[in-house]
Amino acid sequence: MKALIIIKEQDYSWIREVLPHVHPLLVPICNKPFAEFLIDFSILAGCEAIRFVSDGPLSDVEHYCDDGSRWGIAVSYSSIQIADELQQVIKKNQRYCSDGKIIVISGFIFIHYNKQKDYKKLFAALPEGEILNCICGSLSLSGAPLDGQKAIVSDVALSLTGLNSIDVYYRLSMEVLGYASSPYVLPGYSNEAYCSIGSNVVITKGAEIIKPVIIGNNVQILAGSVIGPDAVIGNNVIVDRDSTVSASIVMDNTYIGEHLAVTNRIATENILIEPESGASMAMEDPHLLTGIKKIGSAETIVQSLVHGLMALILISLQLIPFLLLLPILTMQGKWKWYKNTSYTTVSGKTLKLTTATLERNGLISTLAGALSLDRLPLLFRVLSGQLAIIGGGAVVANSNTVADLSSAPSSNRACVFSYAEAEDWPLTGGDSAIVERYYAVHGNPFQDIIMTVKALFNRILEKNTP
Amino acid sequence: MIISEKLCNDVTVISIKGTIDAKTAPELKKFEFASALESPVVIDLSDVDFLDSSGLGALVGIARKKRDQGGNVTLACMNNKVRKVFEITQVYKLFDIYDDVEAATLNAGKK
Amino acid sequence: MTTMMTLPSDIRYVRLASLAALKIAEIFTECINTKMGNEDFCHAFELSVSEAFTNSVLHAEPSEQENTIILSFCSNSNNLTVTVSDSNPPFAIGAPSLDISSYPENGYGLFLIHQLMDNVSYARENGTNRVSMTKQYHMTEGNNL
Repeated sequence: MKALIIIKEQDYSWIREVLPHVHPLLVPICNKPFAEFLIDFSILAGCEAIRFVSDGPLSDVEHYCDDGSRWGIAVSYSSIQIADELQQVIKKNQRYCSDGKIIVISGFIFIHYNKQKDYKKLFAALPEGEILNCICGSLSLSGAPLDGQKAIVSDVALSLTGLNSIDVYYRLSMEVLGYASSPYVLPGYSNEAYCSIGSNVVITKGAEIIKPVIIGNNVQILAGSVIGPDAVIGNNVIVDRDSTVSASIVMDNTYIGEHLAVTNRIATENILIEPESGASMAMEDPHLLTGIKKIGSAETIVQSLVHGLMALILISLQLIPFLLLLPILTMQGKWKWYKNTSYTTVSGKTLKLTTATLERNGLISTLAGALSLDRLPLLFRVLSGQLAIIGGGAVVANSNTVADLSSAPSSNRACVFSYAEAEDWPLTGGDSAIVERYYAVHGNPFQDIIMTVKALFNRILEKNTP
Repeated sequence: MIISEKLCNDVTVISIKGTIDAKTAPELKKFEFASALESPVVIDLSDVDFLDSSGLGALVGIARKKRDQGGNVTLACMNNKVRKVFEITQVYKLFDIYDDVEAATLNAGKK
Repeated sequence: MTTMMTLPSDIRYVRLASLAALKIAEIFTECINTKMGNEDFCHAFELSVSEAFTNSVLHAEPSEQENTIILSFCSNSNNLTVTVSDSNPPFAIGAPSLDISSYPENGYGLFLIHQLMDNVSYARENGTNRVSMTKQYHMTEGNNL
């Protein structure tokens, strides 16, 4: 037995507009790509081969499914024209369809099946013709029943849902989520009913999970957040502190900022969609909701190189003024060295830093401040890789800050300048914390260059200490 | 590259064997069909192991020439590598593609 | 790991170049010793080199000495780079603005290279053009079922 899955661009064009970053056949339902449900069903029905047929592009699907060896089934692909009806499609796939029975799944439809049931005998015994249909498509059989008993269509304990709006997609996801013992094989580890969690998931102390919930891979849930009930969190998602996500779907690669309540929505990149009406709202402020771009391992090296390069340039520019002005400032008593210990990374490692404070009043000290000479000693640490040139603000190590640390995003690094300085926020307080956490997640090497220049510029304009 | 022509179900089938790349594509472009330009043709690619943009261009060129005269070109039996080239460039939208030569010949004339 | 191959700038050698790229990509994936996605990865090299080599031959200027094209391969832990160098006049290789909806007969070459390879870069050094194409080899990325 083989399966022929026919899906035309017009069937799924609506979802392209709502969720443009993923191929419609790979749209996740509870973190399982739609195509995998079709593959699972075909295997349960006794198929040894599946062919995806479309008048649209299939390369993403091909890239994901490859030849099907992952599921122990042979997957192939072919193209049709938009006007081709079922008979024409079968003629174009004549060689594939010629031996044995073919289960034809046509349209953008979801088949409700149960992994515990065996559909092999049923499909082997059904006669040729349509089995089930709905507004968006149908399930039918081509080819005579195999020898043995004959079954009738009403024996079939399956149903179809046509996927034709975001509301249907949402309700389907919530339905699939709501099974105590799922009729589908869903990704993630599930020791208890109604709860499935992927790999590399960090749930910090103080975060709460309320079932039913499904969480994907590489997810960070930071302190104080409440996930659930009825929440689907995709892969590579960060939910920042004190946010709640309930009756919602958070798609892959999304950042949800602090103190947000996401209820009855679908969040994707920087867009929030209300399922019932289909209305969507784009969040302009990236600190609230944004997409996350993956930072590859090559990029962290680039980041270190870029930081090192910036440090070198700054050192070469600052060295001469530093050597000239330092003796004068020390004599004036405006330059003081002091040592402190800061956390370098979230893992709690500390670093002893020798920094300087500068009183900015009077011509020479203003000049020194404008040139950021007080940061020069730290720049050498950037060259050795211990500090970043710009980051989420150095956190001084003392008993108060330990608790704070565990709720920081894991990509935080101690630094010479802080993002808050670049964006001209006051250095302590809620606003700067938001900025710093946002960039800790979203920073990339080229943005860092821009932010460092902004920080330097802001220092020139900084007011003197009275 | 070897090009051969035969008749199947009253339709001309051009079978191509080998690779269609910048070296061999000009040969294909220059190929003179024994049949009239306005009659349908099926191009059998089952023995084509590799095809690049030159090959693609040659096939598109043949299809244009034929269609301008009221004829048509149908493709049959692409392997994965060939299919991928058609997929990435979206040229699959220009052709009816069959996985079986006989089925292609039976449906070639009908449009 | 760097391997170099010098070929005459002659279209008769295009299949040799593309097959060499295919075989080296196959050996590379065997070295990394995983099974998934091999064919795609190797075919990308076969096709990209066929296109790049063809472009080099077509844009060569006739000269008294025989023009040559150099194929070189190098890799690091999980990506493979192929560089096609020739001594043609400088040639623009920015992201191609091909109107594929008009189904032209020519011009797909660069478009294909950009679609297949993760990173394409162009440099001109000492009178030679060097087109470097890199593809990352991904281990199985699908769901862990």
